Amino acid sequence: MPSPSLLFETRTYRDKTSSTAAFYHAPMDGITWAASAMSAARARLDAAAENLANSSVDGFRKTQLRGFLDASGIVMQRLRSASQGPLRHTGRPYDLAIVGAGAFRVRDANGRIVQTRCGSFTRDRFGHLVDGAGRMLLGMRGPVRAAGGAIERIPLPRGSTVRTGFLEGSNADAIGEMIDVLTAQRSFETAQKVLSAIDQTRERATTQVAQMK
Amino acid sequence: MNKALYAAASGMAAQQQNLEVISENLSNADVAGFKGAAATFAEIASPDGGTLGTVQTGTQTLFAQGKLMHSEGPFDLAIDGPGFFAVVDGRGQRAYTRDGEFARGADGSLRNAQGWRLKGVRIPEDALSARVAEDGTVTITTAKGSARCGRIRLTEFPAPEYLRSAGGTLFFETRGSGKARTVEPGTAGGPAIKFGMLEKSNVGIIEAMMQILAAQRAYEANAKGVQAADEMMRIADNLSRG
Repeated sequence: MPSPSLLFETRTYRDKTSSTAAFYHAPMDGITWAASAMSAARARLDAAAENLANSSVDGFRKTQLRGFLDASGIVMQRLRSASQGPLRHTGRPYDLAIVGAGAFRVRDANGRIVQTRCGSFTRDRFGHLVDGAGRMLLGMRGPVRAAGGAIERIPLPRGSTVRTGFLEGSNADAIGEMIDVLTAQRSFETAQKVLSAIDQTRERATTQVAQMK
Repeated sequence: MNKALYAAASGMAAQQQNLEVISENLSNADVAGFKGAAATFAEIASPDGGTLGTVQTGTQTLFAQGKLMHSEGPFDLAIDGPGFFAVVDGRGQRAYTRDGEFARGADGSLRNAQGWRLKGVRIPEDALSARVAEDGTVTITTAKGSARCGRIRLTEFPAPEYLRSAGGTLFFETRGSGKARTVEPGTAGGPAIKFGMLEKSNVGIIEAMMQILAAQRAYEANAKGVQAADEMMRIADNLSRG
């Protein structure tokens, strides 16, 4: 069986949409193909609507889709984009934004450590830096305390920097995601027309061809 | 498709709440001592590592210093630096505010517009005028000369962001904010009390208007998402009808 070929990718900031014309004849009939295109469009709408809803969430990473052709039709693969979100100046002393790769490590009340790109921290009554959900920011040696000149390092990959007084916005922009919503809707409609056309052809084949006798 | 519908709807709801917070900021832009707030949002994580939409996680009060403006009131005070005026109501409940627009009550106490009394000072009836120094010392002038009549102290909190806001300019102590700590104004590097001045709200009108525009656009974009999901469901529904 030939390996799956890349059909399309949703927009990225790095390069243009790559859409390789892939001719791959799977042993499927047209109706199944059209149906698979419809569910692919549906997956695109899901992703675009989720991204759109989170376009105001600081540090949000949008979902990108990659469409592959394989023997079962179009397969959609979901990926979290790693592109940099826009920086916004807030002037608050405990707002941090990462420029480059990496993430803040925060620990919740149950001791679970999660990674986040949202750097909106405040100082709690013990001097710890905590995020909106009350999770403590962790440095190299433990929770970061903003008191008494204690210096702590936030572990980040080489080349990444932290800017104070800034927040990183969502990397999903509302306009781009809206275009994706409309694209998804149109391709859904197109696939549906194809499906109906095949259906009508078959209907004629079964009724009219029989009448010709 | 329903996933997209609910995600877009959650985005609309979040932007609506965002608009409410911004409009409250805007409507209080002329209130002395008012501190603007910002709504905070988080994604609703789905078990498969994706997202199901967005949710407002709360609001965060921004305690940035507002501009100090000269004012006409005889007992107008402003804080230059961090800290709050401690005020009490008739039942002894304490609140903290940066709104220094006080007036002399019938009993000689300094009260704000809501009737809360400023602690630490009482102006006698024979006072002709009063002055407040940067360190909070209140001096009055009477027919017999001048005299000290109390000192205004300020209150600081380890984590003011966790104070409970009662709407308007009053704040209340919570567990998260930590214990109130009295500070002496007028020391080097510390807050100072400015007499004859008021602190304007820290809400920028142009900034707030821009935020409203952005929130409206995001709301519309999410509404488009709802429409598209609805339209696609209609198409899918019509498939069976041929």
